[in-house]
Amino acid sequence: MADISVRSEAEVVDAVCEARERRRTLEIVGAGTKRAFGRPTHCDDILDVSGLRGIVTYEPEELLLTVLPGTPVTEINELLAANGQRLGFDPGDWGPLLGARANSGTIGGAISADVCGSAAVRYGRARDQLLGYRAVNGFGEAYKAGGKVVKNVTGFDLPKLMCGAMGTLGVLTEVTLRVFPKPSLSRVFSARAEPREGLALLRKIWSSPLEATGLGYADGTALIRLEGEELPLSEKAALLRTIGGELVEIADGDRRFHEIADGTGFSSMSCDVWLLTLPPANAADVVRDLSPPLWCADQAGGTLWIGTDQPMHEIAARFGGRARLLRASEARRANVSVFPPEEPARAALTRAVKAAFDPLGVFNPGRMAEGL
Amino acid sequence: MELAPPDPAILARRTEIVAGLKALVPDGVVSDRSGLAAFDGDALTARRQAALVCVLPRTKEQVAAVLKFASDNAVPIVPRGAGTSLSGGALPRADGILLGLSRMNRILEIDFENRCVVAEPGVTNLAITRAVEGRGFYYAPDPSSQIACTIGGNVAENSGGLHCLKYGLTTNNLLGVEFVTIDGNFVRLGGKGGSAGGFDLLGIVAGSEGLLGIVTEATVRILPKPPVTRTLLAAFQSVPDAGQCVADIIAGGIVPAAMEFMDRRCIEAVEAYSAPGYPRGAEGVLLIDADGIQAEVDDAIARMAAIARNCGAEVREATDEAERTRLWAGRKAAFPAMGRLAPDMLCMDGTIPRRMLPFVLARMAEMSEQYQLGFCNVFHAGDGNLHPLIIFDVMKPGELERAEGFGADILKLCVEVGGVLTGEHGVGVEKRDLMPIMFSDSDLAQQQRLKCAFDGAGLLNPGKVFPTLSACVEQGHMHVKSGRMPFANLPRF
Repeated sequence: MADISVRSEAEVVDAVCEARERRRTLEIVGAGTKRAFGRPTHCDDILDVSGLRGIVTYEPEELLLTVLPGTPVTEINELLAANGQRLGFDPGDWGPLLGARANSGTIGGAISADVCGSAAVRYGRARDQLLGYRAVNGFGEAYKAGGKVVKNVTGFDLPKLMCGAMGTLGVLTEVTLRVFPKPSLSRVFSARAEPREGLALLRKIWSSPLEATGLGYADGTALIRLEGEELPLSEKAALLRTIGGELVEIADGDRRFHEIADGTGFSSMSCDVWLLTLPPANAADVVRDLSPPLWCADQAGGTLWIGTDQPMHEIAARFGGRARLLRASEARRANVSVFPPEEPARAALTRAVKAAFDPLGVFNPGRMAEGL
Repeated sequence: MELAPPDPAILARRTEIVAGLKALVPDGVVSDRSGLAAFDGDALTARRQAALVCVLPRTKEQVAAVLKFASDNAVPIVPRGAGTSLSGGALPRADGILLGLSRMNRILEIDFENRCVVAEPGVTNLAITRAVEGRGFYYAPDPSSQIACTIGGNVAENSGGLHCLKYGLTTNNLLGVEFVTIDGNFVRLGGKGGSAGGFDLLGIVAGSEGLLGIVTEATVRILPKPPVTRTLLAAFQSVPDAGQCVADIIAGGIVPAAMEFMDRRCIEAVEAYSAPGYPRGAEGVLLIDADGIQAEVDDAIARMAAIARNCGAEVREATDEAERTRLWAGRKAAFPAMGRLAPDMLCMDGTIPRRMLPFVLARMAEMSEQYQLGFCNVFHAGDGNLHPLIIFDVMKPGELERAEGFGADILKLCVEVGGVLTGEHGVGVEKRDLMPIMFSDSDLAQQQRLKCAFDGAGLLNPGKVFPTLSACVEQGHMHVKSGRMPFANLPRF
């Protein structure tokens, strides 16, 4: 197995063309923090894209950031914070949970694995913020899609497809993201509550004009994060009390939200970890039906982290949601669907889409499902 | 832009096709000449074409049956909602079935607990807000045709509106669809819990302009209505000052609910039309909304007013709801106001990096001289989405061609300065031939391969979006039988 390091799009093209010619498969690896997520893929070679690193352009007044995909998320977060802005999808750091280093995951990895965090409840997921990209497809062609402006409907919205595709559709070589202003102050409030009551409280706030940037539930506690400038934030806090009653303001709130988005609580557990996306009002029922040993919620219940060795696809589907097996042993990931099983009509589309980007199956074969 | 001639073999089968559709939708086939005239185009008024036949299903099963029929008989399908597309997305074909979805207009479910509405494709955009506003909610994307345009059309075009910068386009407010493929199969993409897990096919269906399949049901997010909205009017003596003001507001960390720019010609036309009270003599005005809770709106308004004054603007605030409504009515009447100045109008839709605004406006004034056609500019300033309105008279020989040439030059300019051909109206037939300006051969090839993955025979809305749609085999789509890619006998996924 060769380890092919690339530092430019042209080198990616060369590597892909060579792989095509020699009928070899490539595992696309950035920092390698999420290699244990997805079905095990046994590729002939590794394509190391961590050298595709750096800021291409950052235009705070246009709310636009163009970077090379191997750029660490932490580096981007620091740059944006220095300019009073943030990544709206607020990706968590799955490194430690997946047995890899902390604070080293790349932006390309976060986009490809559809990682998001607490602020996504207000701003949306990576799919809502990836405006354009450059990539090399399985034909060995470099191409671009989308645009570098915040509003664009020219041609198919291919950037959506790259989010969560686990690198099976191509090698990203540049990404353009919409970014958001970050208010200067943030306050986090908490309330001890049973799951059903706690989640109902979060949804009540979600349905209010407070524009909360964090609505989580962990360890029997509902957590609410509000942001703003000084005066508006006090008014929001007052409004929150009229909605939620007496709440306790906590000092380490941001850390608590990070722990949810990073799955920190599951690190020391040996069971599988599942990530469910759900209609928020159904989260409490899922928890009741399962009574898992450890779970937490984000995005007002729209995301549920569950520690369990039972497969979750069926129950997620029953409650109108979808499940991903986020952490499990390699053997388990080879035998249990990591991503939601698809009915025949959709599976046919999925296969045809894969073939439209990578007909020879050069990239991460089998990573999402057998044969994909 | 020339449309391909109709396929004589299909025209020859017309009687049989009409009969076949009548068997599927007995009460919903329009085939007489005067009936078809009612469906002969959309809001790209310069283009008219009668369909081979129009079919108006009432149920999703009928939609699936029509698609299967089209597929089995190799007849093109053109989907249509309310026919408000500004890019000719619903322009019929002489050799194609026009599939009108306006009779599928029921709201199927309102789920306040999950903040979403499930609707059939023919439900109008505004009807969704009307259905939920009693409980203090609304549907955010608000294209100016919202009273008529349908949610199915909004999904197909990924429609925008005045509030996109803060609240996103249709795609950002769409949780799921039920969708029929050209073979007549139903596929559910996303749902009340969104679309995570697996390829985000929902994301590519949104904005696919009817080229990938037909949406028979959409689940959209509803938002709590902001309790307070305040409106500022800032008048500038120079366009660059207005551009600077927009940049400073965004750089100041404020995301206004709406921020609209109108140039001098537009102000004059609107004042002559409805006298909303814009300052005459200004080179441009910005109309800005802040919404949210009281203190946040007050804070944003105070900061934006200071920024605007700092940029040399004369600033005033709408004193009451009546004035607020009047100021916005003026903006929304910009199209009809301009329409009074000439019989025909072409509305362009490029997006540019905001910092290029003064340059682009100056260049457009030069082009106006060159083409000898009047125009004005309205502009979603917050997101850089330009709407130059070119006025002309289709009855005067050569004016349509000049107007289209002027429009094409504006869009080329948008791309040159780092922008895109269309921010919210779609490519349709209007901008189809301009796609190569923005996209290289390999960019377009990748998009066309995706089209082939959904519609290998190219029956869904052919002639739209892509200048030349190569046969799918040429795109490599058929190379699936490689040893590396065991497509056959796939287990479930």
